[in-house]
Amino acid sequence: MSQEQKSTVQTTGHVWDDDLREATNPLPNWWLWTFYITIIFAIVYWVLYPAWPIGKSFTKGMGNNISYTAKTVDGKEVQKSTHWNMRAKLMAEMNEAQAAQQKYVAKVAATPLADVPKDAELMQFVQSSGKTLFSDNCAACHQAGGQGKVGMAPNLVDDSWIYGGSYEKINETITNGRNGMMPAFHGVLTDEKITQVANYVLSLSGEPHNAEAAKAGDAIFHGEGGCLVCHGPDAKGNQDLGSANLTDKIWLWANVPAQSTPEGKLDEVRKVITAGVSRGKMPTWGGRLSAEQIKVLTVYVHDVLGGGK
Amino acid sequence: MATVSVAASEQYNYDIVRKFAIMTLVWGAVGMLVGVYIASELAFPFLNFDIPYITFGRLRPVHTGAVIFGFGGSALFATSYYIVQRTCQARLFGGGLSTFTFWGWQTIIVLAALGDVLGYSQGREYAEMCWPIDLLIEVVWVAYLAVFVGTIMKRKQEHIYVANWFYLAFILATALLHTFNNLAVPISMFSLESYSLFSGAQDAMTQWWYGHNAVGFFLTAAFLGMMYYFVPKQAGRPVYSYRLSIVHFWALIFLYMWAGTHHLHWTAIPDWTSTLAATFSIMLLLPSWGGMINGIMTLSGAWEKLRTDPVMRFLIVSLSFYGMSTFEGPMMSLKDVNALSHYTDWTVGHVHSGALGWVAMISFGSLYHMIPRLWNTNMYSNKLINVHFWLATIGILLYITAMWISGIMQGLMWRAFDDFGNLQYSFVESVAAMHPFYVMRALGGVFFLSGMLLMCYNMFKTIKQGSAEPQTDAVAAAA
Repeated sequence: MSQEQKSTVQTTGHVWDDDLREATNPLPNWWLWTFYITIIFAIVYWVLYPAWPIGKSFTKGMGNNISYTAKTVDGKEVQKSTHWNMRAKLMAEMNEAQAAQQKYVAKVAATPLADVPKDAELMQFVQSSGKTLFSDNCAACHQAGGQGKVGMAPNLVDDSWIYGGSYEKINETITNGRNGMMPAFHGVLTDEKITQVANYVLSLSGEPHNAEAAKAGDAIFHGEGGCLVCHGPDAKGNQDLGSANLTDKIWLWANVPAQSTPEGKLDEVRKVITAGVSRGKMPTWGGRLSAEQIKVLTVYVHDVLGGGK
Repeated sequence: MATVSVAASEQYNYDIVRKFAIMTLVWGAVGMLVGVYIASELAFPFLNFDIPYITFGRLRPVHTGAVIFGFGGSALFATSYYIVQRTCQARLFGGGLSTFTFWGWQTIIVLAALGDVLGYSQGREYAEMCWPIDLLIEVVWVAYLAVFVGTIMKRKQEHIYVANWFYLAFILATALLHTFNNLAVPISMFSLESYSLFSGAQDAMTQWWYGHNAVGFFLTAAFLGMMYYFVPKQAGRPVYSYRLSIVHFWALIFLYMWAGTHHLHWTAIPDWTSTLAATFSIMLLLPSWGGMINGIMTLSGAWEKLRTDPVMRFLIVSLSFYGMSTFEGPMMSLKDVNALSHYTDWTVGHVHSGALGWVAMISFGSLYHMIPRLWNTNMYSNKLINVHFWLATIGILLYITAMWISGIMQGLMWRAFDDFGNLQYSFVESVAAMHPFYVMRALGGVFFLSGMLLMCYNMFKTIKQGSAEPQTDAVAAAA
């Protein structure tokens, strides 16, 4: 295999595929030394941090201890100091954030709900903490600004409340959750009667309806259907039961406003009466958020979103 | 310059190389199209159209599967079969075995995509395929190993060329990684579902040992093999340093295997595993750069080719992106940097500066060199290669810039506290802040995809004007 020397570059003398050769340049010095530096860096890192396993233990790292406060099962605070580890670092950072919050959290705990808005500084805390709490926990259903979504979760900004809009009621709703339901009338009432009741319900909000059918529906509402038991004789609902006010033109389950034709609107209401409501579940936040966080959220919903009564 | 052996088509099995080369183009176009679509879904979620089969969660593994295993995998099969024959002066070993690897591999890519779309996944990143597909991969991969090693064993050259070391390391390591990461017990003979053999943190560490070394051996070592053939070939210059190629090869192989756990920093893993992963990633920096130095310095004395030869430009710019992302990677593996970058778009940008900048660009350059030679012709249009180069480069820059900004912004927003000790931003606020950058990223993808489609057109015209049959001496020598 003869090789035609095409350049003055020193090569290993091997040739592949007609012209592939390898020059004999040494390792670049800067490359080699930077490589050594990364190895030294690694060794320093190993000295400082937990690094090498030894049997069932490992090297703990030196001069890099972390101190933090932990709570025991019975609520006692204990000071801990340990070798560098991810969990301790997290605990130390959480301690720091908690320390900054502590002054305000204690004040929230000590202030009656209705007095919180009167304290300007405390309200700043509610705005800051409430916004994040609401966005991270509530907005998925109630939407970013609390305007709710038909078919999913009620609007918290308007003045209409299903379970009541006082501080106490909002606090109760968040803490314990709600389990709204309406029985299905399919099989209880005939399709014709359901249509009549639906016409009556539409008439309560001044929506287009068949007046004759609505009259028949009125009778069923207050008689055979038994709708008045929950929604009340005036159809204005009952906050103790969580039954909706049917006269306020606010819709949660039947998406009447989205329908442009009278038939479409009628169909929306008929669907709810026929199938009932089983999706009206608000989760319990009691165990997931602290009492103070729920208090902050209550004031946030009542005063910052501004729908409270 | 380089002369093509007249008897090449009889001496070597080019048919299999042509098949894989064409599928590289097909999967590149398909995979990048899906990529652009899911990038658009993130920017404009209505593009889901409430159809479960095309939601981000299902199309994302279709994208990664099609570009990594379809595009990248086919490119590696094609180039490794091409290079191993030419540098060993031996026809591929195993007769029809290489044809089996072709049909087997293509079947795997199609089945994997179908599984993803239909919702069958074992939930391991880059290894979503269910167990029957895993078994098929195992069989095809062993056949690949047999063909490759068989060909090396019957070589007529005394020394094994450096490109082949890298390809062999890639084939062996991938076999190892694939086997151990997919150890699982099917829940029944007739179910596609299975339980992993590992549990908890060990399962996660196994997965990221696989995931990181898929990057290390599939997307790095193997493409370095490609680089070690096509860069000196296209430049007509010897590889810069034989010694450097040996040292960085063994350092790379040794160090990569330790680094995978850096994907799991700040999770429920032992702290010492995290430290080892970070430090081995740092030590990996210079061995990675060895390949870049060896490639770029090969051009010394022939720098003018960067101005005159668009193929050379692809190859050298790919090495620059390789150098950049192998610098970025070790930085991101440091615990404190990782605390900011983990789970953010920065990671996505990092992956793509490697995947688009390095893997795809080096493959483009290699295909532009190889395909005209496979069909005994010249490229249909050098001008279009140049346009492709700029479309790809602009696309990458848009992509990674968008992801840097949005990733660092995300990281900063998630950790920001206000004066009251409260988190300053809710999660949705960080999502809303991403929007303009998601649009920018999708636009970058459109650029890159346009370049890919242009390449397909250019290749189509080239293949059409060429011929798989051997040519007369005069034409072949002119190549």
